[in-house]
Order: sequence, then structure tokens, then C-alpha cells
Amino acid sequence: MNSSFLEVKNISKTFQPGRDVQVAALADITLSFNRGEFVVIHGPSGSGKTTLLNIMGGLDSPTSGDVILDGEKVTGVPEKQLSRLRRDHIGFVFQAYNLIPVLTARENIEYVMQLQGRGRLECTNRTQQVAEKLAIDKLLDKLPNQLSGGQQQRVAVARAVASSPKLILADEPTANLDSKSAAGLMDMMQALNEDEGITIIFSSHDPLVIGKAKHSVLLRDGMVASDEFFG
Amino acid sequence: MFRITCRIAWASLARRGSRSLLVVLMIAMSLWGLLFLEGIYDGMTEQMISNAIRSDSGQISLFAAGYRQDPDLDRLISQTEEVGRLLDNDRRVRSHVQRLRQDGLAATAHYARSVTVFGVDLGAERAHGRLDRYLIAGAYDFGDRKKGVLLGARLADKLKVKIGGKLIVSAQNSAQEVAGVALTITGIVRANNMALDEAAVFIDMDKARELFMTPTGVSQICVILQDEQDIAALRQELQQRFPDLEVLRWDEIYPALLQGRVMMKGFNLVMSLLIFGVAGLGIFGVMVVSVLERLREFGIMLAIGTSFSRVRQIIFTESFILGATGYLAGSLLGGATLVYFYHHGLDLTVFSQGLQEFGMDAITYAVIRPQYFLTAFGAVMLATLVSVLIPLRLLKKSNPIEAINKV
Repeated sequence: MNSSFLEVKNISKTFQPGRDVQVAALADITLSFNRGEFVVIHGPSGSGKTTLLNIMGGLDSPTSGDVILDGEKVTGVPEKQLSRLRRDHIGFVFQAYNLIPVLTARENIEYVMQLQGRGRLECTNRTQQVAEKLAIDKLLDKLPNQLSGGQQQRVAVARAVASSPKLILADEPTANLDSKSAAGLMDMMQALNEDEGITIIFSSHDPLVIGKAKHSVLLRDGMVASDEFFG
Repeated sequence: MFRITCRIAWASLARRGSRSLLVVLMIAMSLWGLLFLEGIYDGMTEQMISNAIRSDSGQISLFAAGYRQDPDLDRLISQTEEVGRLLDNDRRVRSHVQRLRQDGLAATAHYARSVTVFGVDLGAERAHGRLDRYLIAGAYDFGDRKKGVLLGARLADKLKVKIGGKLIVSAQNSAQEVAGVALTITGIVRANNMALDEAAVFIDMDKARELFMTPTGVSQICVILQDEQDIAALRQELQQRFPDLEVLRWDEIYPALLQGRVMMKGFNLVMSLLIFGVAGLGIFGVMVVSVLERLREFGIMLAIGTSFSRVRQIIFTESFILGATGYLAGSLLGGATLVYFYHHGLDLTVFSQGLQEFGMDAITYAVIRPQYFLTAFGAVMLATLVSVLIPLRLLKKSNPIEAINKV
């Protein structure tokens, strides 16, 4: 339970919005996360939370430094390998839900499992199991545009969880939800973290959400301001 | 997984129904136009060739050596019975006729024209090239006393003669003397073969033998085969069997027609390229917009672990569905149009004078060939698939996060 399985080593990221303009989004970040942790990365807007999550998930590449997930390099690997890594080991939950609009909730949840090559029956059973946990089992045949924001975000969490990843990265998952839905979603994610043993790292600046984490990383101006463990 | 690829592709097309319909219609209309043009143009060319074969050259013609360079009654085919027997017994041969021809003069009381006099057997010509079907006035008959004559339509116009009119036909005979005969015009033919319509005078074979003083021999033996594929082989066999004769294919006698056929193929190719170029641009525009509009959607797919090749597969599937639907609609429409014009012909009487100048009929019957549909399928698929290459390149250049944040 306590073996370190995600390492962020000296990560820097510089953007070049103009010809002679350089913006340092992350500066020499080094962090370590244990298996099964429930982590929050917080900080003010522009502190580099999203950039760090994207780099940890292989969605963006750092200017320098390495990310190692369970002994496997996430940075500097070919896109094909990265794609496989995201499919098999990382689940994503985005602030704007990002469900595939033409697929039903069920198809969205099953999608990554199908990419993994799982059988139809397994996909169906797993979808049903996760949907019941997240209380969306009655919504499975609806299209995303027929669901509320909170429901869509629960479908997005279900999609991330269903494929049994080692790690779930959630970028401000409650930012677009009202406080009741946000609290409900966080409780469900916490339960999934405990039941399924999945490491969940999420970014937020909502104090209610931050308070639920057991490991808290504070970013300020692209640097780690604090790295604390609770309970 | 293929099911979900198809599901995403299909759902995305259905969600943008009017745009998808527009692309399908664009492909279908382009294809319809292309098939129609191909069928009609080929129909025109084939009719020109068919007219030349039926009315004159056959698919293979035999002449005495040197006759074509210097058509003279001294250079006639003497082995007529032997050749005739051989052709009668060859199962590849559908029909053959023998003709005696000599340049001469046709005159009325007011006008005279240089002509080519053909001594023919009307019965054999009917069975061979259906000469009777070219008759536009009078009767397909030389009369009981064989003193009738059939004239080419343009010649009749120039001589200003009508059915029942008198015509003096004169020509040099084998004794190098000018001989003449008075005939009655019994029929006028339009074969849409300019050489014949301008100058042909058909008289009875026996009357021609009498006029030219040639009791035996013929100038030309024309052969039509059951199957076009056998032309080369039969020609070679005839040439080996009768080395002193000149055995020619129709395209050697009418090289311009072969050039016309090649030219028409080239023209069809250019038309196809133009039509599908325009359609391709339309499809390209729609597909570019469609992919760019959904860059976020594809970005999400990439982010959650879909490989780029799978996204490419989805885009290609959409493109294929559009192309295949357009192809089916266009093929049905174009095919039905061609079947109609194959049976009923396209009436171009308004342009008949111009068409006749080129040896074409006023009513053009469409040709239907399987390769029209095969090449069209290739062209449609190429246009639709190539049209998504640039959008795919745009997508490939963006990483998932850029793609998601672009919209």
C-alpha cells in the first residue's frame, strides 16, 4: 500500500506564446506518490496544476525532467506507447466532463474497456457494477446532452474507473458542479479509492474538496510550496 | 471494437444529417453525370465504328494485293469461291459479303458527280450489315429487271434526284473503255459513313459485272465475326492461307475511327478527372470542416487512450460511408439513365446535320460497360479518402490537450 509508484523528477515546463516570450509554467518539480493515495494538488489559478496533471498523464510533454509510473517511463516515449499507457493504466476526469457526445453513457463507459480488448460480457458487467456505485445505472442509455453536469461528471468518473487503471488523474472535477453535487462526487471518488485501491490525484482550489485529501500538494508559481500528508 | 468505430462514425454522420446528405448528393450527381457522359460518348464512337463496319469495311476486309493503292479492275480477288467456302465453314464468322467496286460518274440531265459504284447482293448485304436499315426513302430493292439503284443520301441531295428519277451511271470497264447504263433510283440510304453517303451508288452485282465486263472476281470481301476478340486470329489465318491477298482489320481501313475511340477514352478520362476533381474539392471541404469541428472530440478520444490509428479508422469509416452511399445512389441513378438510353436512344436530331458530318447517328444509343462502374468506384473512393488526409494531418500535429482546448 505504501510503495512509491509515481515519481515526478525535476519536471520543468516552459511555454513560448510569442517569439521572444517564454513563460515558465513549472519549475523543477519533484514529487513522489504512493500506491492507493488520494491526493489533491491545489493552488491559485495559473500555478501549474493542470500542466502538472497533463504531464503526469502523458497528455503533454515536459521541457525537462521525467515522470515514472510504476517503473514505466511516461515522458520521452513514442506516442503509440503513450497511448497504450493511457489506455491501460491511467484514467482521466476532466473539468469539462469531455464525454464523447455521440455515444450513450453506457458506450462512453465501455469505450476504454473495449479499446483494451475486453469481452462484451465483462464490459457489460463492469459497467453495471461501476454505474451502481456512482448511482448512474438508470442513466446508462442517455446521451451526454441529456444529462446534467453532475451526472455527466459521474459518467466521466465511471469511464475513468471502469477500465481498472492504476491511476486516476482528475483536473478540477468539481469546478463546474454545485456544492451538493461536488460533495457527492468527492464522496463517491473517495469510496472508489478505498474500495478499488486506485491512486487518485486531483487538482482543485475548492477548500471542501481539498479537505477530503490525505496527501496535499500546494503549487505556487509553478513550484511546490508544500507537500503534506494527513491522517 | 469495430462496432463502436462504426457506431461513432455513423452517429457523427447522422448528427450532421444535412451536411452528410449534401456530400452524398454531390457524389451521386457527379457520378450520374460521369456515367451518362461515358455511356453516351462511347455510344457515339461505337455507332461510328459500327456504321463503318456494317456499311463498308466489315471487321476484316480482303483485297487483292495493291488494290487499295490503285483500285483497278485488274486487281480483283480471284479466289472468291475458296475464300467464301472457308468463311462459310468457320464458326467464328457471322457473315461475309463480296463487293465489286469501281470509280465512275453518275449523271442526271442537269448534274453530274463522281461516284463509287458498288456491285452488291442486296440479300447478302441485309444479312451482313443490315444495309436495309440505312434506307431513308424508297425501297430496298433493285426491281425485277435489276435496273434499280440505291444512292447515298448526300449524293442524292447534290444530284437533286428523287425516288423514281433516272440516273446514268458510267465507269471504265475492264477493257479500258467507258461503259454506261441507265438506271432508276429505287432507294436512298444514309449510313452515316461520309464516304458512302457522299458517293455510293449501289447496283446489282450482275448488273455491275455486265457494266464493268468482269464475269468473275470481286474487289472486296468483308467479314463480320461473332466475337470481336477473334479478329486478330482470323486475320492472321486468312493472311497465311491467302498470302497474295491483303487482309486488313477495320481500324486499318478507318484509322481515324480508332483514333476517335482512343480520343474519346482520353476525353472521358479528362471528364472523370474534372468531375471528380470538383466533387473531391467539395468532399474535401466538408470533411475538413467536419474534422476540425470535432477536433475536441478526437482529442478526448486520444486522451483516454485511443490510438491515432483508431481515430484515423473512424474518420476513414465516415468518409467511406459517405463515398459508398454516394456511389450507390449515383450508380443506381446513372445505371438507370444508361439503361433507358440503351433501349430508347438519345435523340439529338436538333444537331443531326453536325453529327452526320462526323458519321454519327442522330439517335445515339448508350453503351453500358461494367468498367464504368468499377472505375467510378475507384474514383469515388479515392476522392473521399484523399479528402481526409489533410484533416488527419492537422489532427496528428496536435497533441490531445491541444486538440481538446482548440475549440
